[in-house]
Amino acid sequence: MKFMLLVLQNVRRNKLRTTLTCLGTMVLVVVVTLVWSVLTNLQAQLDQDKSKMKAIVTERWRIPSQMPYAYARGLSEGAARKEGDIRPEDSMSWSFYGGSTDPEKRTRESMLFAIAMEPRKMTTMLDELDDLPDSQAQELKRVADAMEKNVQAIIVGKDRLAALKRRVGDRFKLTSINYKGIDLEFEILGVFPPGRYDQSAIMNIEYLNRSLEKYERETGRKHVQADRSMNLFWLVVPDTAAFNKISGQIMESPDYKAPAVRVETLAAGVATFMEPLKDILWGMRWLLAPAVLATLSLVIANAISISVRERYTEFAVLKVLGYKPWQILTIVLCEALIIGTLSGLLSAALTWLVVNHVVGGLPVQLGFFGKFYVPAAAFWWGTAVGAGTALVGSLLPAWTACRVRVAQVFARVA
Amino acid sequence: MSSDICVRVNNVHKSFQRGDEILHVLIGLTLEVPEREFLGLMGPSGSGKTTLLNLIAGLDTPDEGEVWVRDQCISQMNESRLAEWRTRNLGFIFQFYHLLPVLTAYQNVELPLLLLPLSGRQRRQQVLAALDIVHLSDRIHHKPGQLSGGQQQRVGIARAIVTDPALIVADEPTGDLDAHSAEEILDLLGELRNSMQKTIVMVTHDPRAAARADRILHLEKGRLVDEAPEAARLAGRG
Ligand SMILES: Nc1ncnc2c1ncn2[C@@H]1O[C@H](COP(=O)(O)OP(=O)(O)O)[C@@H](O)[C@H]1O
Ligand SMILES: [Mg+2]
Repeated sequence: MKFMLLVLQNVRRNKLRTTLTCLGTMVLVVVVTLVWSVLTNLQAQLDQDKSKMKAIVTERWRIPSQMPYAYARGLSEGAARKEGDIRPEDSMSWSFYGGSTDPEKRTRESMLFAIAMEPRKMTTMLDELDDLPDSQAQELKRVADAMEKNVQAIIVGKDRLAALKRRVGDRFKLTSINYKGIDLEFEILGVFPPGRYDQSAIMNIEYLNRSLEKYERETGRKHVQADRSMNLFWLVVPDTAAFNKISGQIMESPDYKAPAVRVETLAAGVATFMEPLKDILWGMRWLLAPAVLATLSLVIANAISISVRERYTEFAVLKVLGYKPWQILTIVLCEALIIGTLSGLLSAALTWLVVNHVVGGLPVQLGFFGKFYVPAAAFWWGTAVGAGTALVGSLLPAWTACRVRVAQVFARVA
Repeated sequence: MSSDICVRVNNVHKSFQRGDEILHVLIGLTLEVPEREFLGLMGPSGSGKTTLLNLIAGLDTPDEGEVWVRDQCISQMNESRLAEWRTRNLGFIFQFYHLLPVLTAYQNVELPLLLLPLSGRQRRQQVLAALDIVHLSDRIHHKPGQLSGGQQQRVGIARAIVTDPALIVADEPTGDLDAHSAEEILDLLGELRNSMQKTIVMVTHDPRAAARADRILHLEKGRLVDEAPEAARLAGRG
């Protein structure tokens, strides 16, 4: 491409304007990248691995859902009672226990929320932890096994651990927030592999259950939370037919009536959870993103048309030399493309780097979602968005540039 | 058509729309320029000199009549053919040089060659040769902003001759220059005609510039009035 030199020199001509255009493009590409990252993450949650369907059991009428832990045993069998009933492939219970290392005051740094569950289920039931590279998987398995034997064991994410200023091997005590009077003492046995669980912690449900029983023994009355300590129950089923069957078994069983439960697919559960967010997501997808794209095109169109207007005489000179309209059109489009592509790529790369590796994920703490990360695909989205909007934005100015009437331009000059 | 005529303008009419009124700029103009002639075109401002030059250069088309350059009727060509024709057959020299400010002298001169199927080496040879003719071999990497008016015009001339066209048109090439630089430019144009056999059509207001021409034509209100007699030309030089 022999004209590349001319294109590059033109891009470099007004460094301030080129820089401002690039910055404008970059800011807007960052917005688009973040919006799309959130949407993609949510979409990924909704399109769960279909070969392994998760059913989620919650309390039917109350939010937050609080069920007796006694439900766990039957639910883990899928409430199978008679001939022909089927059982889930796997299952886990979810309880949440939260407290502060500082009995006097709760600060962000001193607080810890742990999922109380059967430790061995970590490696089979939790997203990402069920699919680790070998070395990490072995380490997690080791910790899980140790946690089965030592009920006071806890595994904590690296960021939370840093916030608590504790290390593996340390012991610490939590003054509970949601189980008044049940203050527990933990021993840190391990850390999650870096990623989604950096802010999380998992403890053994057995410890919570024993502590609730001990409370009853010592005070002579049940703890107020004793029969409402299980928040969720997850079942793994092979397909929709199995899901329907098991969900029927649970709903028909007399064992889950007080309180009553509901059974949903995880996707449906997520969808229910996201219902109030639906309008925001719709707006992000159909209003915010297009508005940003349109703004971006306008920014570029504006910059390019100013620079084209300044150069009418130059385009006329090129025509005198024998340049054809399409060649001039190409030169202007290439200028815009260079600006758009480079700033698109650069800002996507920066967003990716900053969000994933400096901040360590967007802390959108929504229910089951972990942090949001910018997918690697953002590199080509960003580039495509930059290039595409630059192309769209520069079409009109490029067209006026290539339609320059030589005789008229010079009639004005001389 | 006889082979020693380079430019033939045949009964050409050109008018422009100016608001409601129509401005008749060229009215039935006929003109022949022999090969290797250095023709001066004079006339008051607004008399249609630039318009005529644009027609000869294929930058505009006449409303009526024909413009032939050598054996090609350029007034019948479409825009794309004309563009190709200009690259190979025409050199245009502007009053205000019109170099691209972002490019060096070398790159400016190279611009027309980029349109031709030449190797990088051939281009380099031709650019250096053209810059040598205008005595700027020591300024090839300067940008226009770093050159004087006269030097810029010399780059403009190098750009006009780099594809070795037969016809050079110049619109007041000395109009923006001091007397000394103007002399240099006129010397160069004379050189182009004498040693490179170019045909030159030059519009000028400047009697000293006109004095260099072989022949001077006066344009007035869209018509050629008379061919200036030899005596007037000699007087002009004094
Ligand atoms: N493209 C154009 N559109 C409208 N009017 C024009 C155009 N080109 C030239 N004119 C008019 O035609 C007349 C002759 O112009 P021009 O050929 O530039 O004169 P000169 O070069 O002799 O001073 C002027 O009145 C000018 O304003
Ligand atoms: Mg003029």
